[in-house]
Amino acid sequence: MADWEIWLTIAALAVATAATRSSFWLVGHHITIPKRVQEMLRYAPACALAAIIAPDLLLDGGQVQFSLANLKLVPGVVATAFYVWRRNMLQTIVFGMAFYTVLRVLHIFS
Amino acid sequence: MTETSVPQHMSYVAEHHEPSWREGLKTGIPTLFGIGAWGLVVGVAMVKTGLTVAQALAMTLVVFAGSAQLASLPLIAAHAPIWVIFATALVVNLRFVIFSALLAPHFSHLPWKKRFLLGYVAGDMTVALFLQKYPSEEPQLGKLSYLKGLLYPNWAAWQVGSIAGILLGSTVPPEWGLGFAGTLAIICITVPLVASRPALAGVLVAGAVSVLGAALPYKLGLLLAVLLGMGVAMFIEEWMEKKHG
Repeated sequence: MADWEIWLTIAALAVATAATRSSFWLVGHHITIPKRVQEMLRYAPACALAAIIAPDLLLDGGQVQFSLANLKLVPGVVATAFYVWRRNMLQTIVFGMAFYTVLRVLHIFS
Repeated sequence: MTETSVPQHMSYVAEHHEPSWREGLKTGIPTLFGIGAWGLVVGVAMVKTGLTVAQALAMTLVVFAGSAQLASLPLIAAHAPIWVIFATALVVNLRFVIFSALLAPHFSHLPWKKRFLLGYVAGDMTVALFLQKYPSEEPQLGKLSYLKGLLYPNWAAWQVGSIAGILLGSTVPPEWGLGFAGTLAIICITVPLVASRPALAGVLVAGAVSVLGAALPYKLGLLLAVLLGMGVAMFIEEWMEKKHG
């Protein structure tokens, strides 16, 4: 890609961000969302977050990897349990990263 | 409702409210580490694709959408037409339309420039955290301050991480898996949201659909996961209501 094309692409991506993130902020008061749809939308953030993490935890090179050899699945599950127990996000991130790194460096399951 | 006829009782939502600002900041602080680590990964990826430092900096500063940026990089490397990259980014970002529909009604009385900017910087995690604190659209003192306390540090952490990634480039070994910190932060935000059976069902369906649909083009698996997850959660909620009268 030529230099100017990359700059144009960056501008286009910025428009894509604005068009989606700011959409209802700018035109929302002209649109009435049915109550049923509104109730359904309440579940959107949880579903979106789950949809972001699930592939990262379960996919390994494009394949579903349900075994201990999956380096992220075990620390992910253990970190989830840790958070349910401690309810502290920072501790969970530190613990989860440490656990993940130990598994990776020591090749415990692989 | 026009912007000039703001009801008196709504004006205080926009007033700066220090305790709420601090509370937002405090709620968001742990996520900042995950956000920063994620930004770093995207920063490294941009430079490795062949963007110049100036281009990568511009991209992180004005685009500010990690998943769309990551999706665009292989397309840029493959010299795809710009409209294809634009369409891809739009589809990857479609979940933000839903988020904006959830957040915007809380602040419909603000001037349009302010609304535009707030929407522009509202990413996945902050939306979830805000709605957990303020599920109802009713005007409440300090709402805007709380949102800002979440949004601005989140934006800054992403940019700091991303700029570090751009400057450090290939000196960060990919096998460290720093992006996993972002995943861990999201896990922590998701757990409290799964407080009911419909939500749990929705989250499980969304997770499964996004894994099964991971190979779909335009990251459509992500959008499909959100839509089906929401649908299943709603179905179960209504089914439970019927059962218990």
